[in-house]
Amino acid sequence: MADVTQETRQQQNGKIETSHHPETDSQRKDKYYYGIPPIKRAHWTWQIPIYFWIGGISAGVQLFTTLANVLGHKDEALTRIGRYTALVTMILSPILLIWDLGRPERFYNMMRIWKLRSPMSNQSWALVVYGNLAGLIAARQAAEDGLLGRGLLPRLVARLVPARFLSVLALPVALFVGSNTGTLLSATSVPIWARNWMLMGPTFLASGVSTALSYLSLVLHLGHWGEKKTHHVLRRAERATLLIEAGLIAASLVRMSRWSKPLFSREIAPLFVGGTLLGGIAAPLALLSGKETRGKSMFTSTLVLLGGLALRFAMVQAGRKSADDPEAYFTFARGENAPQPEDKI
Amino acid sequence: MATGFLTDTTVCIGCKACEVACKQWNQIPADGYELTGDSYDNTKQLSGTTWRHVAFIENPKKQRKLTGDVDLLALAEDVHQTLPGGAELDGLGRWTFMSDVCKHCVEAACQQACPTGAIIRNEFDNVYIQPDVCNGCGYCVPACPYGVITQVPEDGRVFKCTLCYDRQRDGLEPACAKACPTNSIMFGDVEELKQVAAERVATLHAKGYENAYIYGTPEIGGTGGINGDHSKFILMDEPETYNLPAHPFLPQAKVKGGFVASAVAATVLGAVVALAFRD
Repeated sequence: MADVTQETRQQQNGKIETSHHPETDSQRKDKYYYGIPPIKRAHWTWQIPIYFWIGGISAGVQLFTTLANVLGHKDEALTRIGRYTALVTMILSPILLIWDLGRPERFYNMMRIWKLRSPMSNQSWALVVYGNLAGLIAARQAAEDGLLGRGLLPRLVARLVPARFLSVLALPVALFVGSNTGTLLSATSVPIWARNWMLMGPTFLASGVSTALSYLSLVLHLGHWGEKKTHHVLRRAERATLLIEAGLIAASLVRMSRWSKPLFSREIAPLFVGGTLLGGIAAPLALLSGKETRGKSMFTSTLVLLGGLALRFAMVQAGRKSADDPEAYFTFARGENAPQPEDKI
Repeated sequence: MATGFLTDTTVCIGCKACEVACKQWNQIPADGYELTGDSYDNTKQLSGTTWRHVAFIENPKKQRKLTGDVDLLALAEDVHQTLPGGAELDGLGRWTFMSDVCKHCVEAACQQACPTGAIIRNEFDNVYIQPDVCNGCGYCVPACPYGVITQVPEDGRVFKCTLCYDRQRDGLEPACAKACPTNSIMFGDVEELKQVAAERVATLHAKGYENAYIYGTPEIGGTGGINGDHSKFILMDEPETYNLPAHPFLPQAKVKGGFVASAVAATVLGAVVALAFRD
């Protein structure tokens, strides 16, 4: 800078413009330490949100079919679909989860120990228990349906496997799988997840049940199966569950307060506001209150299913954005905002 | 005996010998040759392949006019004395260096998150990843309140400072502490280092540096549930200046609460669905 006079140089002397520091370089907008995130985000790719979605559906299907069974509502098509769905989801889930591991061939190390403090460990064991129960129950169904042939073994399975008892046993484990997908996210240092530690599990579970009811309704409609009463109950339960889900999401947003910002960012808002809030909850609620037709019902179910998927993707993406934002983490980790051991709420 | 680090940032000269020694001893791959333009920091942050990282903070906090003859040497040394003609010497502020490392938390979030039990506390009470057990699930990465533990994509597993477990077993101090030319990085018994840190901070206070403090003890600042760190630091500025959180917290403290809330939600949802079956 040749044109700088001695005088101006002296004036600047007290107000030094250091090389590129955020605080002195007015051109730089990054804050704190050169805008470098103080925490690291999770590497999880698309398999994880899809697993969260499938796990939620599995939990909800288990809830509905088990309740139907216990309450004496007889619908063979519903039972059959419920049992096969549980099996298929419990085959897909581990595949997706193992796929996402950095060292997939070592997946069995998850079974080395059981750690109550680690939601990931609890999740792995819950999947083992629920997966095996679902397998047994589905085997009995397959034997009854004649899919396993007419040998001695299928006959023994059909007679000896106590499917009803096992599905009651599997229910709490399935519900744990569905809710723990949310709790798992909240037990991290990521502000948007950690701040909402109490409602992450309930929100994911409510969304799981609503997507499961829609899934059942959609499949029954597709195959022209199911009793009339089943459809009626599904519709009624769907309406109530969607309302609970909406309430939980609203409460979550209040709880997340300023750290919910990523959900409304340009990249995630279409997914969260458009996909989940409007497409997955508001529109289906409106459609469910009108007259019921097969086409409309199937359309509504599809919307709810896509909305639930959008919610999982939005939450995981928002977590990445939240972890990448130094401002969010530092404001969160200062003072009363972060969860403290002595906290009651 | 619990061992740990004490990193005294007030005597760090930013030579990066610790970074080099760490890479060399632990045979960690290079990170490339990116020039960031962010002061002299081209390493940027701790990662799976960087277990020591020297931060360069150009601290322009004290912005005062310099008048009269300026003694540049005294300026650089941050000497406080009245000069003829009312000249002030601390106009430049400080250029601070800080060698960052895994904090080896007393209650480690990464260790609690690990579902395989790969992350353990070894006989020196350091947080250590067993590389033959880790399956790369990556759950410890967002759990760490300091952003230390990181997955190496080419390998799949996560890595971080081992506090030179192998050297310690042979009675040697960690490579970074050995290489540090100003003794900014001290290694030893955690209790002893606590003493050293307290004395050093007292000395600094006596010299007029009132803002010096120890980072990583539960006594100073609530380290919510982490219970302090085995690698402590002597800092001269807000923790955020060094890219450290003021009050790190233990994320797993709320797992039980989340479980109870989920159980309540499951009961309510079950009741609602059951009610829908009524005629």
